[in-house]
Amino acid sequence: MVFEVGRICIKTAGRDAGLKCVIVDVLDNNFVLIDGQTRRRKCNTNHLEALSETIKLKKNAPRKDVVAEFKKLKIELKETKPKKAGVKPVRLKKKKVAVVKETTSAKTPEKKDSKLVEKKEVSKKPVKTTQKKK
Amino acid sequence: MPAGKHKSRSLRRVQTKIPSGKTVQRYEKRNPSKAKCGECGAELSGIPRGRPHEMQNMAKTKKRPERPYGGYLCTQCARKKIIAEHRV
Repeated sequence: MVFEVGRICIKTAGRDAGLKCVIVDVLDNNFVLIDGQTRRRKCNTNHLEALSETIKLKKNAPRKDVVAEFKKLKIELKETKPKKAGVKPVRLKKKKVAVVKETTSAKTPEKKDSKLVEKKEVSKKPVKTTQKKK
Repeated sequence: MPAGKHKSRSLRRVQTKIPSGKTVQRYEKRNPSKAKCGECGAELSGIPRGRPHEMQNMAKTKKRPERPYGGYLCTQCARKKIIAEHRV
């Protein structure tokens, strides 16, 4: 068997293509579990290219052991930790804002009306003058 | 009758609906040709065809597959190249 536990491979498909990995477990005739520079995941053997190198690994070895073994090959692996769920932002209710708008809208129309009235008066005057000229 | 500049077929004709409900013929520039593999010339999949301003607004991940040589080589050629790099 080429694809046995401890065999170093290269992924040739997907976003992890071109990265080195180790076979951690043989799941099936076609599928193996891999870990290393790639994510720890199930993988079809058609998407792997086996290399001549091997590593001494137990079946289903944890990530720690894989990292330690890769260090011997002078390949440093990234630490992958699941993200902690942060506090979700809560939406503020818009009721209070609406009340403020009402008060402001109640105040403003008075001013606007007074301005409008002035404008209307101004606009009326020239019309009268034009009529007189005619 | 179309205007003189619209008589050549270099612009494509598109039927669009205007707000009043009428369908009107409009003229648009044609899309660029499909992306092709740099090695074998096969048409690449997963790459949208859009005018530059459409491609500009797209995310990088929507414009090409996320794989080494994504958007430049087809999957078969990329695989061959990756294997060739690592074999001694």
